[in-house]
Amino acid sequence: MISNSLAIEVLNRALATGGDYAEIYLEQTDSESVLLDNGKVEAVGSRQAFGAGIRILQGYRCVYGYTSDLSKKSLLTLAGELSASFSGERLIEVTSMKKGKYKKINHVETHLLDVPLEERIAYVRECYEVTKAVDTRLVRIQDSLAFAHKTIRIFNAEGPVATRFDAEEERGRLVMVAIAAGENNSIESAFEGPGASTGWEYFKTLDYKQRAKEVGEKAIALLTAKECPSGQYTVVIHNGWGGVLFHEACGHPLEASATSKGLSVFSGKIGEQIASPLVSAWDDGTIPNAWGSNDIDSEGVPSQKNELIRDGICVGYMVDRLSGRRLNMAPNGTARRESYKYAPTSRMSNTYIAAGKDNPEDIIKDTKLGIYVANFGGGSVEPTTGQFNFSASEAYIIRDGKLAEMVKGCTLIGTGQEVLLNIDRVGNDLALGQGNCGAASGSIAVNVGQPTIRLSKITVGGRGGELK
Amino acid sequence: MNYAKFFELAKQRGIAESQIQVTKSRAVSIDLFHHDIENYTITDGQSVVACGIYNGKFGSARTERLDASTFDHLINQIIKAASHSEKPDAQPLFQGSEKYHKKNVYCPELAAIPLEKKLADLREFENEVYAQDSRVVEVEAGYSEREASFEFYNSHGLKLKQKRNFFLFGVYAVANDGKEAKTNYEVAFGADYSAVDFKALAKKAVDGAVAKFGGESIKSKKYPTVLRYDIAAAFVDAFLSSAVADEVQRHSSLLEGKLGQKVASSKLTIEERPLTKNIFFSYFDDEGVASYNKTVVKNGVLQTYFYNRETAAKDGVESTGNGMWEGSRIGTGYSNIYVKPGKADFATLIAPIKDGVYITDIAGLGTGMNARSGDFSCQAEGFHIVDGKLAEPLTLITLSGNLLKMFGDLKGFADNLTLTSGGTQIADCYIKSMNIGGK
Repeated sequence: MISNSLAIEVLNRALATGGDYAEIYLEQTDSESVLLDNGKVEAVGSRQAFGAGIRILQGYRCVYGYTSDLSKKSLLTLAGELSASFSGERLIEVTSMKKGKYKKINHVETHLLDVPLEERIAYVRECYEVTKAVDTRLVRIQDSLAFAHKTIRIFNAEGPVATRFDAEEERGRLVMVAIAAGENNSIESAFEGPGASTGWEYFKTLDYKQRAKEVGEKAIALLTAKECPSGQYTVVIHNGWGGVLFHEACGHPLEASATSKGLSVFSGKIGEQIASPLVSAWDDGTIPNAWGSNDIDSEGVPSQKNELIRDGICVGYMVDRLSGRRLNMAPNGTARRESYKYAPTSRMSNTYIAAGKDNPEDIIKDTKLGIYVANFGGGSVEPTTGQFNFSASEAYIIRDGKLAEMVKGCTLIGTGQEVLLNIDRVGNDLALGQGNCGAASGSIAVNVGQPTIRLSKITVGGRGGELK
Repeated sequence: MNYAKFFELAKQRGIAESQIQVTKSRAVSIDLFHHDIENYTITDGQSVVACGIYNGKFGSARTERLDASTFDHLINQIIKAASHSEKPDAQPLFQGSEKYHKKNVYCPELAAIPLEKKLADLREFENEVYAQDSRVVEVEAGYSEREASFEFYNSHGLKLKQKRNFFLFGVYAVANDGKEAKTNYEVAFGADYSAVDFKALAKKAVDGAVAKFGGESIKSKKYPTVLRYDIAAAFVDAFLSSAVADEVQRHSSLLEGKLGQKVASSKLTIEERPLTKNIFFSYFDDEGVASYNKTVVKNGVLQTYFYNRETAAKDGVESTGNGMWEGSRIGTGYSNIYVKPGKADFATLIAPIKDGVYITDIAGLGTGMNARSGDFSCQAEGFHIVDGKLAEPLTLITLSGNLLKMFGDLKGFADNLTLTSGGTQIADCYIKSMNIGGK
């Protein structure tokens, strides 16, 4: 990492040609992972990311560069190369540095990388033993525990006094994959992946044995699951990971990187109804130790709880500094990036539909014929058209208000505009689920979330013909 | 970096054999939006991955931090990883292949073209895209180029190097007819800059977007289905992931026990051609084994699995030169896939189809594909085929099936062999019947 005086020199080199904002983002991330294949240690991985990204803004223009060489010469050369793309007069001369302040959101008791490897291996092996005991048809079980510790230093300047932020991020994730083999060479797999921005204490209190049991049971159940029907049906979506629906259908199109350029279906929709009046939604980067929480964002802005939708009305976007200029909106702590190799942009943190009033059991009971999606694999969206998709990893038919047979191979598709308006029941059981979201600024940790909800109608794709 | 020093230090610490690979890359990218440079990016990357055998076990480590601490850090991490490994003893590191088919794919002409010229071309290209159709409302046009060098050294004295460069023009066109917005993304890439046909690329980008206006869903049922070449490539890639020997040996591949057997229609022939002289060329793998061209599926019959040295030793065969880093272990990968095309043009291919679909876009296959079971379901867009001709656009439909069944139902390929940006040469592909979900 570099000193304040070198940072001032680099910022001034960057701002020499008329830039109105400059930023240096320095990072060292140490990661370690343990992978067990069928209970045996297959690999212990070690990775060290190291480098600096320099960004200069001038109005709506952005130049960005990175290097892994943090020598004075290298950083000044990069700043010079980047500033050469502007040709104006200097607007800002940085003369001093102040310390950036923020509130700590994530607290760590025992740093993950301080936990002896033997202890981590024993933990993962326990997961394997539990899963293996579920059924002899589980032919392959992969368990891994990945820890990462990121040290960040950000220097940024919009005037003569630059600001320095020192921050740390720590994340750990347990991933369990169970593969089951059945008759006629059929193979099915199931996945569980709990994680948090926290220390070893999270894993000690996690219900990992229950999760390990469930992943095995799910893979076995899929062996005899029928193919999902296709057509348009009423669909009830389980809480927690079900929130990937909102993440794809609505979260991405509410990112200012898309809305600010007229490239989102929700561009210019603030104040308008975009969802059912039953829907209120938030992006909250301040939930202590949650998977998607950071103390500050990648531009040094403290994380916030941002309201996106209130009773169906669009009330806000996730706004980064650059997109905020187009929208005339202040950045709200949502500029994120995977690493120094990416310029930051508006991204989600912990994004969820707020709890409603319905009892989840009643939502199922009041559905005569439909599909219940208990878990998702993931999905994607095209923000400009609003078209999204997500694939269910666990789904059941609902008949006469009761869960019936399990089905597999199920994809839900639609447009964000339509699906949000078609939410006709919202449960009182809000929960969050952990995932990784890939977009312009790389792959980042995000929580998705929602209570149990019901869509009055959505297109379902599967190979099982018509639902009867 | 003094690699001999690394091998010496590693040996002193008890790492009997070791290997180190260094990747250096430099890239520039420019994005235009509303005729102005919106993003300009310069990147300078370096990374090192090292591995070794310690007390008979394999360990590895990666870093991007290249300074006085690098060698010590790598050695410590290799020892830590190897000390906890529960795999059987690792085989010795590779001594070298008899012959390597080295080719120079670095294009100095591309590097010599000034960036100003490329930016001017990009600006003109952006204008060309807008000029295609009055309904084009937004255009994001970008240029990027990258050059990378790869160096491989091991303590047996094996030294291998390769270098490549390439460019990519990408355009995301948004068209709006007052009722709905439609988008399309197209790319042109390679090392031969003079081969880019900007007018054709602009036309393709806009035609692709405006053709989607008025798209509707279709009745759910099974349809004869034609997959555009790039969509077909995504399915071939998923299919080939089951031909990785490691998956087969661990009983998680749908191609287990199928060597020498029919796994697809006789119309399917797939080769891996890593030695094709293009930007995907590679003459050695991550274990230092020489790459070579091979047939993987011939007329529907599975000819070989993809092997690295470890999985090859398990099956008593030679490595197929497909060792590739997967995180902290050397797994298996492949590049430059060639799928034998047919002889009919597109019109002839679809002529016999009375009521079918032509798929031009898919989304969500990453999570909608279970490569182990072969089952998939994803979002799709395209066109209805009626009486042998393309008819109305289709949107918000789903495509689902099983890879083995799908390739078993393959009726043939068109003649439009095209290299995708993922490194697969493939043509439009006609499947007898696939599940389409809609209304």
